[in-house]
Amino acid sequence: MNFLTKLTLTLSVIFLVTGLKAQDLQRKIPSDALVVATLKGKNMLELMSTNEFNQTFLGKKILDKVSRSAKNKVNQVEELGFNLSADFYYYNQGNDSVSYHCLLAPVKNAGKLDELYTSSGLKFNTAGSWRTYYNQDSTELTRWNENILYFVKGEGKTTYLYPAAQTSIGITDTAMVAADSTIVDTVAVAAAYDTREIQEPAVRKTKATKTKTSGAKKKGKVHSKKHKARPARKKPVQIKEEETDPTEAVAMADSVAAAPAYEIDNSYSEQLAKKKAVIARCVQQKADDFITKGESGSILDNKDYVNSTDQHAEISVWIAGLDRLIGGYMPSNRYFDGKSMFKGYGSVVAKLYLEEKNIKIGTAMHFDQDMADVFKKVNKRKLNKKFLQYVNEDKLIGYMAYAADTKAYLEAYPKIISRFYGSTYGDEIEMASDLFSLLLDEEAVSKVVKGDGLFIFNGLSQKEVSYKSYEYNEENFETKEVTKTKKETLPDFLLMFSSEDHRLINKLIAYGVKKNFVKNDQGYYEMSIPKSPLALFFTLKNDMIFLGTNANEMAQIAGDHYVGKISSRHKKMLNNANYAAYFSSKKLAGKIPAEEFGNTAKVEKANKILTSIGDIYMKSDPIEGNAISGEISMDIPSSQQNALKYLFSLIEEAKK
Amino acid sequence: MKGYLYLFLILVACCCSSCFQIVEEINLSDNGTGTVNLTVNLSQSKTKVASILLLDSVNGYKVPSKQKIQKEMDEVVAYLKNSKGITNVSRKLDLENFVASVSFSFNNISNINNISQNVLKKLKVNAISSSSYSFSPVTHVFERNYAHNKEALIQYNKLKPQVKNVFKEATYTSIYRFELPVSVCTNPLAKVSASKKAVMVRTGMLGLINGKTNISNKITLSK
Repeated sequence: MNFLTKLTLTLSVIFLVTGLKAQDLQRKIPSDALVVATLKGKNMLELMSTNEFNQTFLGKKILDKVSRSAKNKVNQVEELGFNLSADFYYYNQGNDSVSYHCLLAPVKNAGKLDELYTSSGLKFNTAGSWRTYYNQDSTELTRWNENILYFVKGEGKTTYLYPAAQTSIGITDTAMVAADSTIVDTVAVAAAYDTREIQEPAVRKTKATKTKTSGAKKKGKVHSKKHKARPARKKPVQIKEEETDPTEAVAMADSVAAAPAYEIDNSYSEQLAKKKAVIARCVQQKADDFITKGESGSILDNKDYVNSTDQHAEISVWIAGLDRLIGGYMPSNRYFDGKSMFKGYGSVVAKLYLEEKNIKIGTAMHFDQDMADVFKKVNKRKLNKKFLQYVNEDKLIGYMAYAADTKAYLEAYPKIISRFYGSTYGDEIEMASDLFSLLLDEEAVSKVVKGDGLFIFNGLSQKEVSYKSYEYNEENFETKEVTKTKKETLPDFLLMFSSEDHRLINKLIAYGVKKNFVKNDQGYYEMSIPKSPLALFFTLKNDMIFLGTNANEMAQIAGDHYVGKISSRHKKMLNNANYAAYFSSKKLAGKIPAEEFGNTAKVEKANKILTSIGDIYMKSDPIEGNAISGEISMDIPSSQQNALKYLFSLIEEAKK
Repeated sequence: MKGYLYLFLILVACCCSSCFQIVEEINLSDNGTGTVNLTVNLSQSKTKVASILLLDSVNGYKVPSKQKIQKEMDEVVAYLKNSKGITNVSRKLDLENFVASVSFSFNNISNINNISQNVLKKLKVNAISSSSYSFSPVTHVFERNYAHNKEALIQYNKLKPQVKNVFKEATYTSIYRFELPVSVCTNPLAKVSASKKAVMVRTGMLGLINGKTNISNKITLSK
């Protein structure tokens, strides 16, 4: 990957660009984009000036890399030619053969960009106001003018391994190659549009005999629309590659397809070159469409996307449909065809907010009506309020709580499975579902395990364990077996979950006591784990089962004299969410035994980092409408000006 | 004997993520006969080993059951008993502390040269180093020729990072005891006992795997 590609990608995660209004750039994103990521340059600049960014490790690294590539000192990110106070976009678009990763960046000074390319020895073509640069195999293209920079990278999908696609472009790298050379042309059709007047991407010379057999039929998988404008006519920059007329390439592909398998050159590089040549043509078409298609079919016509936009989020990511996105990357074979793990999952939105007091990531996942109904039933259960009596904030380092309705989940499970397998195994799944329901009494199971639980992490403790080793006398190195001791670090936790029906558990306890696996203490039990230094205690109290590592704590729970302490913030989080988690790294600092790190310097560094990280909160709210929303947030220390500066300081500290 | 060590190493690599010890002892008489005792001690990691043995696989590696470990040790013993020049074969397996040892007598030190390779071959494990021993009752020179095999490093590099950690703290100890005092010992890592009748080499396993440590030795005994 050349430096400019890297740079462009890097820019998508930092901030840059001007010239066009943000709205204008966004309008250029096609309506069928699968993923759109937005970076708000203005919001970022409000948190950190460009001068401040230039001094950060990331700023220095970018400037250093650019300076080295351009053989010219670049002192500030403004010199890169982008408008840093405008919005940057990444979007993904694809079909069943090629996936396109695209970047849109607003340009402030195209001359500076030209200068950077020129001084880096990277030749670009100019046609009107547009400059175009191709990477070595033309699968990446960067095009810019005075207002905008557009970058597109094409990636071939595994569907290329389909026999039909292989045959059409002469790829024979698997045993699946179809012997029938008359198979319908698919990928080659991408090259069938009129390419004579546009730039011709690199195609490696093949050994295949150029004997046309059949014309390519235009019903392929890849976009193959004729373009209207051809901004650049020169051939792209290539290294050690021979160019050929794309129409000739089609002919080659056809002839290869027609040749018997044993005549085909199977070398990996040749196969790869053929794939890349097709991808290159698709990339070219995509870049031409970007200019010629104007703003018709814009993402701004997509209501779901428009509703997801948020001016306050520094970075936001919108995924049109999880099912579509994952499905696009799943291998196409008999195991996966017709099945979808995420069927019923709709659009996903994630937004990053860098605020004065915290860093927050808000997420929302949309479902179709069937899945939403399942979640509504499953998430109906709330966390047992009695759990909160056993939360001691003074002691805990973190917790994780989950509440789901076991009965609703067990009843919905066969339905979810049948959605996954779709129509492929419809009858079989239906029978299995009936058998599942027949064997399982969902109501009875839900009384034993109601579906809510709270895990409290109280820290780490050390226990001494013995082991065998050897000593050798000085006289004749005679071996003597000795017993030594060492300390092992163990977690200290308390787990609780609700259970109404204790009959089975009581039977298990009685069996354990009889077989000496379980020891009955006063009101609680101790589990005996052979060779393990970890002691486990449990008790049943008020329709709750407690399992923990601290005997005193268990005795207090059993004796009804446990003293808890919980703030309103945690109480609210635990009571309202279906999933909630909290972790305080500050509280963990100093509690990790030095033996786990090896040396004092590492311990000190770890403690310093742990101390500087704020408290982390995670929660997932009950479904509302057809969407489940969640949030992850981290408090930032009061000494920090804002979240962005804090993030940079945290990473710089960790890098030391 | 190195072959045995690697067999156990593989077992260890399959099932734990902490340190272990390998101790190899050879007692050699003037007439060239002697005894070997090989010990693999996982006791320092016994908590982890015990919990891992409850699992079916860990880090993608199949965890052998206790029965499987016992069965394979029995097979090794049976093979040794049928090997030329090898007698008094016995084994100890302490599954409480995870210490395994095999001991036997030999008529001539050369009897043990091919055993390790063959045992590994029998257990479908590729040998990843080679060692040969010789002793001349006439010249009173004992030699161990150790050749590092690059395959050891290749195999090691294929391991997952968490499994590689197993070898970081692991140690290998080799002790040779003689009836006559040692006059010359060529390996700089070797330490001669106060009685001058024993030589010990203690080193980390990682050095043996990456070839940085050479445990070849030429020991000349006083006549």
